[in-house]
Amino acid sequence: MGKLHLNTLTGNRQTFFVAANLSAFFKSPMNWQTTDRMQNMTNILKKIFFIDFIKGLSLTLGYEVSKSVTMRYPDEEKWLPYQRFRGLHTLNRDAQGRELCVACELCAKTCPTKCITVVPMEDDTGIGISDRIAKVYEINLVRCMFCGLCEDACPTTAIRMGRDYELACFSLDCAAADKKRLLAPAHPFPFQEGIQKSPLLGGDKGVGQEFEGGYVVGARLERNKQGISIKPDLTRKKRWW
Amino acid sequence: MPDINTLIEVALIIVKVIVVSLILFTLPIPLTWIERKVAGHIQVRLGPFRVGPHGILQPVADMIKLMFKEDIAPDKADKWLFKFAPLFAMVPAFAVYAAIPFGDKITIPIINKEVTLYISDMNVGILYILAVGGISVYGIILGGWASNSKYALLGGIRSSAQMISYEIALTFSCIGVVMTSNSLSLLDIVKLQSGTILGFIPHWNIICQPIGFAIFFIAALAEINRIPFDLPEDEGSLAAGYHVEYSAMKFSFFMLTEYLAMVTASVLTVILFFGGWNAPLFMPEIPIFWFVAKVGFFIYLFMWIRFTLPRYRYDQLMTIGWKILLPLSLLNILLTGLFLL
Amino acid sequence: MEKLFFLIFAVIAIVSAIGVVSLRNPVHSAISLMVCFLQVAALFILLRSPFLAAVQVFIYVGAVVVLFLFAVMVLDLGKERFGGYLHHQRPIALVVVIGFVFVMGFTILHGSLDAPLGNYTEEALVKNTEIMGKLLFTKYVFPFEVVSFLLLIALIGAIVLAMKEKR
Repeated sequence: MGKLHLNTLTGNRQTFFVAANLSAFFKSPMNWQTTDRMQNMTNILKKIFFIDFIKGLSLTLGYEVSKSVTMRYPDEEKWLPYQRFRGLHTLNRDAQGRELCVACELCAKTCPTKCITVVPMEDDTGIGISDRIAKVYEINLVRCMFCGLCEDACPTTAIRMGRDYELACFSLDCAAADKKRLLAPAHPFPFQEGIQKSPLLGGDKGVGQEFEGGYVVGARLERNKQGISIKPDLTRKKRWW
Repeated sequence: MPDINTLIEVALIIVKVIVVSLILFTLPIPLTWIERKVAGHIQVRLGPFRVGPHGILQPVADMIKLMFKEDIAPDKADKWLFKFAPLFAMVPAFAVYAAIPFGDKITIPIINKEVTLYISDMNVGILYILAVGGISVYGIILGGWASNSKYALLGGIRSSAQMISYEIALTFSCIGVVMTSNSLSLLDIVKLQSGTILGFIPHWNIICQPIGFAIFFIAALAEINRIPFDLPEDEGSLAAGYHVEYSAMKFSFFMLTEYLAMVTASVLTVILFFGGWNAPLFMPEIPIFWFVAKVGFFIYLFMWIRFTLPRYRYDQLMTIGWKILLPLSLLNILLTGLFLL
Repeated sequence: MEKLFFLIFAVIAIVSAIGVVSLRNPVHSAISLMVCFLQVAALFILLRSPFLAAVQVFIYVGAVVVLFLFAVMVLDLGKERFGGYLHHQRPIALVVVIGFVFVMGFTILHGSLDAPLGNYTEEALVKNTEIMGKLLFTKYVFPFEVVSFLLLIALIGAIVLAMKEKR
């Protein structure tokens, strides 16, 4: 090791090669000059018969006949992420359909990009689980970096990050998600202690919490008045690798 | 007044010229699609997929786009040369096919007339092709110079130096074939490649002239500016090289020329070294079919190489041309001469 | 028919030759030179020597003019004017040219430039290339070798000059 170090220090590559050759000489019974000459011969033969060229061509031919890895999103396939994925947030309800959010503003406080705006309001009509609900709950999706700290901070598991990642749109008004958009639909759902994620993926995509994810599923591009949406088809699912 | 037979012959030649030109004009349309598909699959992608089934209508879409794009000429360009450079490039690419035989003779069934599958059988065929093929460099040089842009100019200069260097090796590698077949006519060269050696090896020139073939193929790659020798349009250092200022139809003419050059190179390789339309080993002779199949294989090979090899550096290109290919081709001529003696 | 083609080619050749010396831009001059060479090649074909035509295109059009263009483009001669190099030669040149035209016209009109036809028939002319090759290596082998030796000297000279430049 010290010898190598010395060589790199002096920068004399020649001595290093000589040393390597000498060690080869002592190790192998064959004369080092012969091995050198054989090396040269094989190199020349390689050049004459274009061996490396043919190797390269066969490699690319192998890739040519192999199956492509392209995912034909959005026409035919789409990627459905795992449950742990951090996509568009959802505001959740409890089994009775009451809003879990108590507008404690912990999520807004902990947010590193300060993209959550919460304005609390007193309400005793039973919309929420306590007498304090969020009057305004808005997430600026342009600033949000989907770190998931709001999720950790929430004491009532009201805000959870879903699996919807198709957030591109044609105008800026969809860049901010308001309470209406974030609030999960008001129907009973099997909310248990163990499940940490939102019951529905993106609110209306029809993919339930129980779906484990990590698949490429079939998809269909739909255009209508509301815009473009990509409907997943869970019956055709496959691992992409 | 010439008699009716001469008139028919003249009409036949005109028809053949029109048919060949039409085929050549439309050939780049599928070739662009094929090239992109080959590129895609080699890179484990799909290639064009959205226009038509498997993207088959993509070249049509491209064509429509190229036709309706704004035709921009740089302000300080040499206006006339800028306009004519694509033509300078395109005309030789077509003119080459006047001397290329696609097959021997076929008899049209109904009218029972014998038709030759070539426009003319020149007795200096191969020389003509090499000469006219060499002219097409003008389009590149003039296009590069007339654009008045440094990238384009550098592309033009590179291509002129490259073309001259590799033309010598290309021509010398052909001389070996001419020596063995004792004729400059492509028809004779192909006819001499029929039959077999020892009963099981096809009597193709690739067997007698392996060095010649290697030199010819490498020089042809350089001549038609394809990777690994596509220095004139090196994206890495010259943006797009000589056609960087061109847009719309003029650009598409350059593209057309490039694809035609690739077809020409494949056709020449097949005619000179792979027996032209002669069927390989005991296969039935079908007119045109074997020729097209072989040419298709070489076109595919050119594309295949494009997505396999990296580009050479400019000094490496010159070293290969002058210090390796040229002496090797001279050696090949010497060996062929000794062998013939 | 042949006369018509001859006239077309000859006129274009002369016009482009005038263009070579009269055009301002060196690149344009080089292009007219190329056009001129192409027309000369066409004239060779009319004279039934396709080999010469092909060689003309191959060497002059394909290589020499390309080198001209290369040099012009690299040296950027576009801005130079050649007026300074003429040194009041115009009157003398004019007199010489008029005299030349007069002599040429006189000899052509009086038909004293009748070159003898070759002793080859039409069938033999198809083998033009072969005949030329044989003649070059038998009857004219000495001039041929002299010319090739000269070219070799020029080649070596060019290399030597370029080497000196490097040092």
